[in-house]
Amino acid sequence: MSHRSPRKSSSFQYFLAGGSLLALVGLLADFRTSFEARPVSNACQEVVQPQSVLSRDELSQLLAVPERDAKATVQAIVSDPYCRLAPVEIRQGVVAEREVYPLAFDPQTWFVLLYEGEEYAGYSFVFQK
Amino acid sequence: MLGTPSYFRSRQRPATSPSFLSWAGVAIALLLASCQSSPPSIEPRQVHVQQGWELQPGGSIAGYPIVAGLGDVSIRLRGDALYAPFDGNVEPAEAEDCVIFSSPKVPAYLLRFCGLARPRLGEVVQGDRIGSGRILHFATLRKQPDGTWALVEPSLRLIETALTPP
Repeated sequence: MSHRSPRKSSSFQYFLAGGSLLALVGLLADFRTSFEARPVSNACQEVVQPQSVLSRDELSQLLAVPERDAKATVQAIVSDPYCRLAPVEIRQGVVAEREVYPLAFDPQTWFVLLYEGEEYAGYSFVFQK
Repeated sequence: MLGTPSYFRSRQRPATSPSFLSWAGVAIALLLASCQSSPPSIEPRQVHVQQGWELQPGGSIAGYPIVAGLGDVSIRLRGDALYAPFDGNVEPAEAEDCVIFSSPKVPAYLLRFCGLARPRLGEVVQGDRIGSGRILHFATLRKQPDGTWALVEPSLRLIETALTPP
């Protein structure tokens, strides 16, 4: 008849408990990071042209337009935007308009143009999650 | 046997007692969890200000650090918080005690906040608390065709949004 050593059995139980605790902490840490990763809100205020996308050619032309060029220069390259974001005022007394174009080759990525009056101020890419 | 004297029982406890093992397990778990959750270090963002004034945040004069310069709006926060005015990203600036806020939804602009204690870095959404401080130095920068950033006058609404809890 064989007897298991009580000391070995006890160590194994604590090893098991420690391992479970470790797994639980790891799981909680994962949950926490998933809660932290919040998607960027990209609410359009007004959808202008639902089918509008930006081609590679249009994108390369736009990237060559310097900031502070005329808005008309940019609008000669692109057609109507997919949508407009809400106007914002960053500089005192100047309202900025923002127009959104999804990329034709990557619709989850938006190309955002910002205008101030008749001036083109700049662009950025918004990567939707 | 009615009982073992307490001093004798303590001498019989093995060196690696179960309680020691459990505490060691907890300690290791916490250590691993803290390693996992520590955010990656973020490199300071280099921003070349168009107005190349001599006295700018990050510089010093007579051995004293300069914490604000021309173009900064200084606001007595009295320890209150500053909030993200848009969804965006907070990066450390080259100047000590300053951070750069950018938003892909607001192209061509950067905001520089100096004077915040332990600012929150990384991705934030509008209304997130970025940090708090005694005096905030707030600067708005607009992108220029040559790649530099010009200090411009920030809108009152923008500052109010950043100072008002959501």
